[in-house]
Amino acid sequence: MDTVIQTVDLHKNFGRVRALDGLDLEVRSGEIHGFLGPNGAGKSTTLRILLGLARASSGSATVLGRNPWTDAVELHRRVASVPGDVNIWPNLTGGETIDLLSRLRGSTLDRAYKERKRHLSEIFDFDPSKRGRAYSKGNRQKVALIAALVTDAELYLFDEPTSGLDPLMEAVFTREVRRVTRENGATVLLSSHILSEVEQLADRVSIIRSGKIVDGGTLDALRHLTRTEISFAQDSVDTHALATLSQVHDLTVTDGRVKFGADSDRVHEVLPLLGNLGVKGLLVSPPSLEELFLRHYGDTVAPAAEAADDGDSHHRRHRAAAQTGA
Amino acid sequence: MIWVLYRQRLRRDRWQLISWILSIGVLAWFAVEAIGKTFGDEASRAQVLQLATATPAILVLRGLARGPQLDAFTFFEIFSFIALLAALMNTFMAVRHTRAEEESGRSELVSSTSAGRWTPLVTTIVHGLVADVLVAVATALGFMGGGLDPAGSIVAGLATGAVGFAFLGVGLLAGEFFSTSRGANGISSAVVMIAYLLRGFGDATGQVSTDGMTVTAAWPSWISPIGWGQQTFAYTGNRLWPLLLPLALAAVCIAAVVGLMERRDVGASVLAGRAGRPDAGPTLRGPFSLAFRLQQGSIIGWCVGGLATGILTGSLGSAIQASITSSPQVTSILRAMVEAQGTSMTQLLVAALFEIAGILAAACGLQAVIRLRQEEAAGTAELVLSRPLGRARWLGSFLGLGAVSMVLVMLFTALGAWISLVASGDTSSAVGDVWQTAIDQLPAALIYLSLPAAVFVVWPRATIAAGWALLGVGVVLGIYGGMLGFDQKVRDISPFTHTPVTTGAGTDWSGGFWMLGIAVVLALIALVAVRRREVGTA
Repeated sequence: MDTVIQTVDLHKNFGRVRALDGLDLEVRSGEIHGFLGPNGAGKSTTLRILLGLARASSGSATVLGRNPWTDAVELHRRVASVPGDVNIWPNLTGGETIDLLSRLRGSTLDRAYKERKRHLSEIFDFDPSKRGRAYSKGNRQKVALIAALVTDAELYLFDEPTSGLDPLMEAVFTREVRRVTRENGATVLLSSHILSEVEQLADRVSIIRSGKIVDGGTLDALRHLTRTEISFAQDSVDTHALATLSQVHDLTVTDGRVKFGADSDRVHEVLPLLGNLGVKGLLVSPPSLEELFLRHYGDTVAPAAEAADDGDSHHRRHRAAAQTGA
Repeated sequence: MIWVLYRQRLRRDRWQLISWILSIGVLAWFAVEAIGKTFGDEASRAQVLQLATATPAILVLRGLARGPQLDAFTFFEIFSFIALLAALMNTFMAVRHTRAEEESGRSELVSSTSAGRWTPLVTTIVHGLVADVLVAVATALGFMGGGLDPAGSIVAGLATGAVGFAFLGVGLLAGEFFSTSRGANGISSAVVMIAYLLRGFGDATGQVSTDGMTVTAAWPSWISPIGWGQQTFAYTGNRLWPLLLPLALAAVCIAAVVGLMERRDVGASVLAGRAGRPDAGPTLRGPFSLAFRLQQGSIIGWCVGGLATGILTGSLGSAIQASITSSPQVTSILRAMVEAQGTSMTQLLVAALFEIAGILAAACGLQAVIRLRQEEAAGTAELVLSRPLGRARWLGSFLGLGAVSMVLVMLFTALGAWISLVASGDTSSAVGDVWQTAIDQLPAALIYLSLPAAVFVVWPRATIAAGWALLGVGVVLGIYGGMLGFDQKVRDISPFTHTPVTTGAGTDWSGGFWMLGIAVVLALIALVAVRRREVGTA
């Protein structure tokens, strides 16, 4: 399969801060590639370099076989993108903004275009006649999404595309992304900090932390790494049998609820036992990126640049300790 | 509660206010020093004053003549400009803490606390009042520091502060009408300029005493807050009652603001934004048309300013002719001056006032570059530049629009002057010269397009501050430099010093070509360098 995006040992420094620290990313043709990482890990910086808006300090990046910094204009004819933080012109309406951005991409606003725009506005439940300053964050996001999806592209770069969207609109977005890959054979790189969102869409994922890819592969491979959190009401259920299962980890009883983590790829093996025990108030939470990071990289990859993240980890560790104590 | 918000305003504004207030005080002090040095004895001041009262163009940019004593003469020379600065300080301050806050949504945060809807307004008024008291103190100290009479200096200070406070009211009221701070700032700056020009017009068309030492302002001065400040006759009359007028204006504006706020939602405005078109029109199709769309409001504003300046210039032309025929003494002074310059009075007047229009054009172009920076900081530049559009073309489009808007401003200025000159029956060669004089202003103005563009490419964060600062320095050195007694070498730093002057003998464009050359080189540097520059975020 062809490689659409390839970065080798990509570095990006902002003064003394290392935003990217030897990033190797590979995205293949026709796939939906999830680009997972916590805030501040370097996702947006990577996407900005791939768009030629920022220049790599060292290392190389290739997009559709070209250098994004020197060939930005030619590349942009073939690439559609949604920035991480969508801002639009306050005095232009959403519809005008979409049309302007499409014209800048070189498309003529013919009947087919107008039909696509109308269709997208409809499924995203978007009113294009309001002025930019009147839109909420979610609606600004829709402007960028519609502008990216309304014209065909070979490669789509989405930076946290669903932020600000409600679950219904997330589903619409998911459907549209599947459509562009299925119908046009387009490639999609989608960054996110929410594991479950990427899980729904992506064929393969790369996990970025502190400017490096720390893990990657297919979702199946990823499932080995993650744990699904399962909890149920304690009542008088005997949990001894559960605790002995090899796929069950960290079983605790807190506030009248039994809680444990199960290997995500082996959840189904636990379910029969839960059925036999007749548990009530069963809650299965999908694995989260935070949990994955905490377990796999919690203490090994913790640079000062990620103070917010560390704070979160400490908080979790503290809570885990409290639970064990109980 | 007011105290909490007041401290927030102080903290946010501290450097800005300190620099405004210090500039005003230092300018007052500097003016006394410079005038004392340049026109040391009363005889020379009397001579200058006679010339000035005979030359309305000078009166427009100076003030109300009240005699040749050093203190009265200083007040005549500098007060209107100091009052103009105080006025702008206040309108910007008012809009910054009201409409800009509402536009950004921050006022939602504040108003949903126990501060409510009214405390921010009250705090802003207190903030403005304190700042204006400080302006009054700084002005009075500045004049006193130069050795002027303390009582008169205090009156001059109070006049400056009172005029400033009136414009705080104007700024607050403007904020009620417009949904954007840009709109509110634009309209309130325009009101300030109109107030300045109205009093200029009133002073220039006023009744000159027979000895040419004093002027009694005509009615237009009486509808301008800056004119009210002049009516205190600081040092010569020291009357305070005219200051009731600016205070009353402030009260009326604030009452209107209260009345309007009583009826509207937080974030709403009297002139509401209309629902727009769901599709882009055929003209919105590239970076140039986007730039035009973003700038059209301010371009229209500056063009109206140019038109007003032009009309003023033309109508002053007829005023001069009236004064020539009415007073034989004035006629002889004018004759002497005209012959010495080899230029008609109207031509001199046009040249002097069109320099002001040149500043408007420069500011209009500068705003196009500032918009580039705002686009980058707001993140909308990223939307455009992730389309197949080179950075040089993007920058070039905004520069092109800036140049076009400069030409438009000068065109409207010339048009205004032409219309009013023709209407007044002036048949001198000045009627034809207005177009030439308008073009004369462009080389210096273009510097303020390409120099900020170069700054934008090299040091984006500094674009806005550096742009206005460079323009301010250029104006002070180039237009007020002579009056403030700067050395010619220092004045030569300003592009405005090199503006070609069209006289009866033709136009000397040597300085103009230099300015054009520098502007082109700077623009080319910016266009080449921007290709190697990353797109910044904030």
